Amino acid sequence: MLSILILMPFLSALGVLLPVSKAFRLKLFLVISLFYGLIVASFWKHLPAGEYHGFIVLDPLGLIMLSIIGFLYLSVSIFMMGYFNHEQRSTRIFMACLMLLLSTMTLASVSYHLGLLWVAIEATTLFSAPLICFHRNQQSLQATWRYLLICSVGIALALMGTFFLAIAAHEVHTLLLPSLLKGASSLSVDWLKLSIIFFVVGYGCKMGLAPTHSWKPEAYGQAPGMVGVIMAGALAQCSFLGLLRISQICNKTGLADFYSSILIVSGLLSLVVPALFILGEKNIKRAFAYSSIEHMGLLVLGLGMGAVGLYGALFHMINNALAKVIMFLTAGSVAQKYGSTRTDEVTGVIHIYPVTGVLLIAAFLAGIGIFPFATFHSELLILNAAIISRHFLLAAVGVSCLAVMFIGIGKIVLGMIHGKPKEPLIAKKENFYMNMAIAMAVVLLAGIGLWMPGALKHLISDAVLLTGAV
Amino acid sequence: MMFIVFSILSHWLIVLALSPLFAGIIAKIKAFFAGKKGPSYFQLYFDLRRLFMKNCVYSRSTTWVFRFAPIVNLAAVLVLSLIIPLGSFKAPVHFSGDILLAAYVLGLARFFMIIAALDTSSSFEGMGASREAFFSCLSEMVLFMNFITLAFLTHSISLSTMIGADIPMSWKMAGTVLLLVVGSLFIVLLTENSRIPVDDPDTHLELTMIHEVMLLDHSGVDLGFMLYASAIKLFIFAGILVPIVYPVQTGIPLLDTLIFLGGMLGLSIVIGVVESTMARLRLNRVRNLLLIAFALAFFGFVVKMWKG
Amino acid sequence: MTTWVDTSCIITVFLALIILSNYRVTAMIRIFALQSFVLSLLPFFLHAYSLSGRDIFIVIVTMVLKAALAPSILFWAIRHVSMRSEIKPILGFGSSIILGVILIAGAFWVSSSLKLPGGKPASDLILPCSLSTVLLGFMIMVTRTRAVTQVLGYLILENGIFLFAVSLFDVMPVLIEMGILLDIFVAVFIMAIVVNHINEEFEKDLASVSRSKMGETF
Repeated sequence: MLSILILMPFLSALGVLLPVSKAFRLKLFLVISLFYGLIVASFWKHLPAGEYHGFIVLDPLGLIMLSIIGFLYLSVSIFMMGYFNHEQRSTRIFMACLMLLLSTMTLASVSYHLGLLWVAIEATTLFSAPLICFHRNQQSLQATWRYLLICSVGIALALMGTFFLAIAAHEVHTLLLPSLLKGASSLSVDWLKLSIIFFVVGYGCKMGLAPTHSWKPEAYGQAPGMVGVIMAGALAQCSFLGLLRISQICNKTGLADFYSSILIVSGLLSLVVPALFILGEKNIKRAFAYSSIEHMGLLVLGLGMGAVGLYGALFHMINNALAKVIMFLTAGSVAQKYGSTRTDEVTGVIHIYPVTGVLLIAAFLAGIGIFPFATFHSELLILNAAIISRHFLLAAVGVSCLAVMFIGIGKIVLGMIHGKPKEPLIAKKENFYMNMAIAMAVVLLAGIGLWMPGALKHLISDAVLLTGAV
Repeated sequence: MMFIVFSILSHWLIVLALSPLFAGIIAKIKAFFAGKKGPSYFQLYFDLRRLFMKNCVYSRSTTWVFRFAPIVNLAAVLVLSLIIPLGSFKAPVHFSGDILLAAYVLGLARFFMIIAALDTSSSFEGMGASREAFFSCLSEMVLFMNFITLAFLTHSISLSTMIGADIPMSWKMAGTVLLLVVGSLFIVLLTENSRIPVDDPDTHLELTMIHEVMLLDHSGVDLGFMLYASAIKLFIFAGILVPIVYPVQTGIPLLDTLIFLGGMLGLSIVIGVVESTMARLRLNRVRNLLLIAFALAFFGFVVKMWKG
Repeated sequence: MTTWVDTSCIITVFLALIILSNYRVTAMIRIFALQSFVLSLLPFFLHAYSLSGRDIFIVIVTMVLKAALAPSILFWAIRHVSMRSEIKPILGFGSSIILGVILIAGAFWVSSSLKLPGGKPASDLILPCSLSTVLLGFMIMVTRTRAVTQVLGYLILENGIFLFAVSLFDVMPVLIEMGILLDIFVAVFIMAIVVNHINEEFEKDLASVSRSKMGETF
């Protein structure tokens, strides 16, 4: 079952590359996403068996990730039905890369071998690069180049971390997670510490943690909205999955304190740095990129705070992904309508496109974490965990950074919504599909915020138990 | 007492007798690469004999420094030759720390050459003197770095031990370190003795001269002394390099000396080939070359410290 | 065979140092090809007495990919971009050498506090040399402003990781080795294409030609 999940998008990528019509490609994409979502939904009932001698196993952590990926791709496929009405560029490579990205992200979520995990994340880097330079202009090519360069270095460092882990586990002789956990007492502590540092830097680079975050504003600022969603909502969290797997090992080997101190420092940096840069920002996609850096910082912070924080972090993974759907798809919608994402070139959206305007406000509220959106709850949980573990200064800094982000993003979004309406590039008609995709996510996020389903609660608790956090 | 005198005299005999031949072999190889028959192997002997029979001509603008420098040069180089072991002939002068004596005796010779050149109050000499001073600063740094590495390898700071008996064991244990040291010392040899690619010893153009400038104004016996001193210096540097490269110590004196001489022959061929196949580097490239030599030596030092 | 392994490691690090100080692109690519060639022979030196088919396969594949294919793709890229040397090097020759030597010393110092468990490895020098090469490759990336030379720095970083991987594991999962090779191939391929496209964009967009030179990134 799992290999079908991985191979299906891979094969459809080949199908997309054939010289077929754009409409066919969009429909194929939608069908594949629906199938994918249905299969993942079936996993909620009953986890499938592992395959390939335990290299590919689905556990609760992986299921959270797969659900996120499934929903994201579903909303993106609906959005694209409306977006590509007005796009003239060929969508062949774009969709093929999206499909390949789906395949490799699935592989990353279900791989139980840390080497295979690295290969999968490496592949995601390579397949996501062509997506950023969809609009072939100078800035997007430069952004792609920067992304490739920085993330390749991060991947190389993560590879070194994998090697160090293999040295630490020289008596276990394999990098399969269950074997590593079973033989945790025989792991060499010095090499494990070194490998943890390299993993945090390497996978953190892919997540967009400070100080290796400089590619994010460029890349998200230039990429089309759909790509922003996939990358911020799913790709970054796949790298976070790598950090989660490491935490499983750390908790077993007694290095939890060491790991959490590193994570807290990274998380804190990733909270502070975007707050410094957001206030002067005029481009809404770049502002959302800074918000993404911030949320990644929150995730890492939650991971470093023990079981309570981990619960918040896993919940935040889901909420962040949904919030990113709203944020980036709205930004993409605005970008297509006005041809720009800057506040000096886009104003008065609500007068011409009322639904899009409302969705923009929803994006702002969801991204910042305002009730009733579930991001409010998960951010509260993480900050609460910080206070429980007596990191008072940390909590204070976190809250103030969130407040600064509120001001920054609010300034941009509200500036775009109100004001004298500028002339859009295309018809003054709301697109059904685009709004539908965003509205789906809004409803879901608000729904989770108002009433958390029991199945979700159980899944997250199972995942927390799995990592063995205290 | 007699033994020491005999040792000193035999050392000087070897050095004085063999160094012009060494220079001649190099010249012959360069001629071979140029497709010429070239001067005789013993040409430098004939040149020296001719020069020693001539009178010196001194410019009116020179002082006693100019007359004094060639004597200091030759004397310093002969003192230096006493510190180096040659084949089975042990160095007459050896004590802990004699590498410093070697380095500074060289420095003394160079100092007098430079101020003699400045003494002529000619601009070409001034230019050449400044270049010579600059390159010798860098090459001395590299030389010392190499000496430090060798000292750590052989646990002594006496030149005789550093390039003596311990080396064969060192090749087996720290071959890579010695490889780096040899590379670095070879570049130092080319620099100190003004060989291509650092300096062209056959150039006639004052603008391109570095070391030749020092010889430009001397004549007669003085010029003979300077030429002899250059040849002996080359021989001595080769004599430092060869025992490091040829780590064979059989214990039979005749065999050791023959191996040493064979090594010197080999090194002279290598120098000749290097000189014939490369072009002279631009002056700032020479600085780069010396920095690379320093990097080689420092890297050798780091590897030695790593190996413990 | 330890001496051969040692010598290969030393040559790798030293060539990386030379590339750090050199700013002529063709020279850099050629020295990189030489370094990759020396590295690709390493499995051969390590298992000289017990060569397996896997070792020979790795030697051949690495040689083809890293010493032949990667440099030729880089040469093709610079021909398209019609690049010459960097106009304004960030560090001069002397500073690069000094910095490189300090990095090498630092890498050796860090390695002295790391002990390799599980028996004696084939050579003492592998760990510090691989760390040095990684650091030097990283420094090359940082000190360059042109796309092609940044790729070269990344490739040297990969060489350092390869040195580490090949030498330290007799029983390493094939997956990771293939990952390295795949990484290099695809990275160079894509990077070459991206560089190429960066150049093509400039030809179409006349307004920006005056602002930036061909093949330059900032």
